[in-house]
Amino acid sequence: MNPFQYARPATVAEAVALLEEHGPDARLLAGGTDLVIELRNHWVEPKLVIDLKHIPELAPAITQRKGFLSISAGTVMTDIAEDERVQHHLPALVEAAVVVGSVQIRARATMAGNICNGSPAADTAPPLLVYDAVVVVAGPAGTRRVAVNDFIVGPGKTDLQRGELVTAIELPIPDRPYGAAYTRLTRRRGTDLASITLCAGVDAAGAARIAFGSVGPRAFLVEDESGLLGDPGIRIEDKVEPLDKMFELASPSLKSLRASPDYRLAMLRVLGARALETALGRLTKELVG
Amino acid sequence: MNETLTIRTTINGRKRTIDVAVNHTLLDVLRDDIDLTGTKECCVVGECGACTVIVDGRPMNSCLMLAVEIDGKEVTTVEGLELDGELSALQAAFLDESAAQCGFCIPGQLMSATALLAENPDPSVEEVQEGLAGNLCRCAGYEQITKAVLAAAKGVPR
Amino acid sequence: MSAQSVGSSPRRGGGYGRVTGHQEYLADIKLPDMLHVKLVTLDVARARINSIDVSEAESLPGVAFVMTAADLPDPMPRFGPQFQDRPVIADGETKYHGEPVAAVAAETKDAAEEGARRVKVDYEKLEGGIFNVTDALAPDAVLVQDPSLRGDSPFAQTNVIDEKRFGWGDIEAQESDLVVEDNFQFPMVTHFAIEPHGFMAAPTGDGIEIWSTIQHPYLLQKIMAKMLQLPLSKVRVHAPDPGGGFGGKQIPKFEPLVAFMALRAGRPVRLVLTLDETFQQVRRSSAEIRIRAGFTSEGALTFMDVETNFLVGAYVDIADRVVSKSSYAAAGPYRIPAVKIIGRTIVSHTTPSTAFRGFGIPQIGWARESLIDEAALQLGMDRLEIRLLNLARYKEAFIPMEEADGDWEQTVRTAAKRIGWGDPLPPNRGRGIAVGLKSGPTTGLSYSTVRLLYDGSAMVYAGTSDMGQGARTIFAQIASDELGVPVEQISVVMGDTAVVPYDQQTSASRSSVLMGTAVQRACFDIQGKVRAMAAELYGVDEAAIKIDSGNLLLPDRDVAIVDAMQQALAPLGGEVIGNGEMRKQKDPNHPLGGTAAFFEFNCTASEVEVDMETGHVTLVKHVTVGDVGRSLNPQQVTAQDDGAAIQGLGHTLMEHYIFDDEGRIRNIGAIDYRILTSMDLPLEMHSESIENADGPGPYGIKGVSEGSLLVTAPAVAAAVREATGVLIRDLPLTPQRVWEALQEAKDGS
Ligand code: FES
Ligand code: FES
Repeated sequence: MNPFQYARPATVAEAVALLEEHGPDARLLAGGTDLVIELRNHWVEPKLVIDLKHIPELAPAITQRKGFLSISAGTVMTDIAEDERVQHHLPALVEAAVVVGSVQIRARATMAGNICNGSPAADTAPPLLVYDAVVVVAGPAGTRRVAVNDFIVGPGKTDLQRGELVTAIELPIPDRPYGAAYTRLTRRRGTDLASITLCAGVDAAGAARIAFGSVGPRAFLVEDESGLLGDPGIRIEDKVEPLDKMFELASPSLKSLRASPDYRLAMLRVLGARALETALGRLTKELVG
Repeated sequence: MNETLTIRTTINGRKRTIDVAVNHTLLDVLRDDIDLTGTKECCVVGECGACTVIVDGRPMNSCLMLAVEIDGKEVTTVEGLELDGELSALQAAFLDESAAQCGFCIPGQLMSATALLAENPDPSVEEVQEGLAGNLCRCAGYEQITKAVLAAAKGVPR
Repeated sequence: MSAQSVGSSPRRGGGYGRVTGHQEYLADIKLPDMLHVKLVTLDVARARINSIDVSEAESLPGVAFVMTAADLPDPMPRFGPQFQDRPVIADGETKYHGEPVAAVAAETKDAAEEGARRVKVDYEKLEGGIFNVTDALAPDAVLVQDPSLRGDSPFAQTNVIDEKRFGWGDIEAQESDLVVEDNFQFPMVTHFAIEPHGFMAAPTGDGIEIWSTIQHPYLLQKIMAKMLQLPLSKVRVHAPDPGGGFGGKQIPKFEPLVAFMALRAGRPVRLVLTLDETFQQVRRSSAEIRIRAGFTSEGALTFMDVETNFLVGAYVDIADRVVSKSSYAAAGPYRIPAVKIIGRTIVSHTTPSTAFRGFGIPQIGWARESLIDEAALQLGMDRLEIRLLNLARYKEAFIPMEEADGDWEQTVRTAAKRIGWGDPLPPNRGRGIAVGLKSGPTTGLSYSTVRLLYDGSAMVYAGTSDMGQGARTIFAQIASDELGVPVEQISVVMGDTAVVPYDQQTSASRSSVLMGTAVQRACFDIQGKVRAMAAELYGVDEAAIKIDSGNLLLPDRDVAIVDAMQQALAPLGGEVIGNGEMRKQKDPNHPLGGTAAFFEFNCTASEVEVDMETGHVTLVKHVTVGDVGRSLNPQQVTAQDDGAAIQGLGHTLMEHYIFDDEGRIRNIGAIDYRILTSMDLPLEMHSESIENADGPGPYGIKGVSEGSLLVTAPAVAAAVREATGVLIRDLPLTPQRVWEALQEAKDGS
């Protein structure tokens, strides 16, 4: 690792000031699970590393507010997976959080970091998209809120501007019965980077949406326009066409080590159908229960 | 030159004040600066778990942490598992089940298992396998390791 | 004799250190005033090195010096266990991705790393790199090795190092009702020991001390003595217990480099590789196998014709021996009237392959067992029955100069029963069964010294490396029973050539049998000495004293060996020292230089469920049964077998190097080279032993530790085939590969 300076701001304002001053020469340390690898491999060579762990406003916390859960930037995957409110309202997010790396990784990796890295394979991106998460960004001009769909831009790219950092992610608690499910494609059962990440969500009115990642420059959110996918009365075999249409944006890389484009495209359909079935099952349960 | 920072931390119950280079990982500091070489280095990308230590109750990959991050925190390494010269129940169970073959992954396995049992004193086979999935064993003593963790959980006397 | 310790499972020798973090592995050792070394490598497989500019690196604070080929003797010293082809450091040309071209010595790891980044290598990528068998054998292929290194080999002008031809009978003269033929591939896989390789050296004035993660310290000592022109007595090798070897740590790699660096520095130097660097230095040989076999309509084998091209890498290492040994046993444990075997050792611009658990057998066994299944299918026979029909029976000669040394039928039937062969299967499920056979060591030489100390404890000196197989425990158990000393009071000393007598090597599952015998004989030597002392002490005729499990049986009473020793040695104290030697001689008439000390025979059976939409294979049940002669330590035997089976499942289901067009490994390291985790195990797993006490080792043991991975792949693939109807000829059986095969079958039908 190259030498660098290390800063430990005590407030968001201080962190913002440092970020503004140093721009691309500074890197944020949240969970560190990606940053340390990047530093060791000299993929990034910052002059300054800003440790966010001493900022009380960012300390791990999941707070229920009116109609939404606010998850602070310092909250790690383990916290999210273990939180009963998240489990109850946002089960697909839990499903994504519990497959991020190993127990050791989940004890360190933050959801904010997962999104800020801009990895197309980020596990939590699809459920955040399906659940209409909002990213809270602090910057020199104050605080702004960005829909996660606008926040995620491309590989390694987010909507963050110079001097800005994420302070929390807000997740609306579904105001109606809602079924959602997360699934992924991996090479083994144990910890693995996914070749497909996918989340399906349906409501009782039949509105269905699917978010999927790892098959293009970013995770995409697609609404079902056919109205067929969310209909529990239609057999899954008869949903092939509208389902295929959901994945038109998919453009899996030819160069990936993990799976060929053909396989990924075929698996999108399989996983899409499976997640949809699970989501519909959950919806039914909610409606009945 | 490396910038250094003085940190105060508790390692295996002992309070320490150490100067660490800010660009060194916790793994570097444990092994090279304070001679706690029980924690092992293998993949340095958070995949193998050989470097696992417990920080404030949770298992973490010390290869993915900067040493400065343990400032004010409590760290347990494999050297801290024995209590008053007595092996912990897990250590004893690992011996009894022949779970340690070459032994290189074992410190990491023990730390993950210790954290698991602290959190979940009566885990199922699946929970043990899940809890230790971040610890590779190329001798592939997974069956023996799982057995040992379950035996320690049950407090089965040797 | 009534052995007490043998056959039980005491706590592992060295186990305490392993569970407390006190076990000292190489990277845990710090030498005073040592320099740290970092290698400089290029991101290319085959390149010409025009020049290396070390000035910037050497001017960095903390950097002591940079070593390149120019700083080494001219001509470049070369070494290897079979051929002297590996240079100390790349000389003028790199021949594989990751071959070091320079090495930086510095006061700190940080400085060494920074120095390595500042070494400027002017190089050009060379076209014509050889990355597969076809390219290697092309008439206009670039020669990987300089013909001048090849001596008078008839193949010197090719990329073939040697061609082995074995066989018996005339395959053309056989009458067959059915002939099947096919081609199979086995990919490159790596050992992935959790401990990366490491090396240290320190000059001692008139000699050198070397520390290495090596499995064969005495081979290293010999190679270093020769290279540095030192007497063996001035080369001391320390070999701390390796953190996993699996064959990958048998043969010296960068020890000569660190030795030259230490001599230049006049100080100790240390090089500990990263896992990523280790990935580029050791692997299993890949193979392409063409196989043909004839059968009668009843299913009896009439002939077998096997041709294997092993792609071994840039330097031969021990790979040529892998080729000959595995080829010799290519036809497996079957009774076959005529066999023709060709095995080729082919070099390429890839990581040098070396010994790896199974030593070539998994590659050939994959093809042979898959072909036998095809024959059974075409003959309408049961896949178990066809194997039982052809299996060599106990004591039957089945390969020239070799006979079946175990009740293999019993092994196969046990496995079949365990897997539930013939039981009805739910949809998408299938079962497979396969048999594998590997020759144990063909020669061997092991010495042991045992000291029975005055207080009744004992020390065993054995040059074996305990890399997880548990050799310490086994030797302690043997000494315990022979001397009547409790296992806990025995220390086993290993890993230091200045202290421990010679042992040829730790490989081929030999140690329990060969070193075990040497230890036992050293104990016999002590027994004899104590018997003589007792005869004098008690005034009995020596011949009248018998010995049984640690006791002297005098005509009128029994005395513990320890008690007799203490009485005889009082009042000065002292100890009784015994020496033992075990030699397995060469046999010049045998094509391999010696008969197999034993065979590791294993029957593997597997049941899988296949997700027909995604191609994912779930291991429902996996069974391995090995003929071990006798299980000296049942717990350790099971651990070895489970471990081997899981490693076999790795190359069967997920492991392989992925290359780019330029011969660079793309999935270096733990992120994209997948091995099994605790969550990828079979839902149910059984490793069993057949024990007829018919092995050549102490108490009738044979070697164990490789059997369970010999035929994992064909057993699992056969199960996948039964579940899906598709035959797959290349490994690993990744979900994508299974899915593709399913698609192809769909498109074809
Ligand atoms: S060394 Fe830290 S996880 Fe492998
Ligand atoms: S005991 Fe050898 S790697 Fe786990």
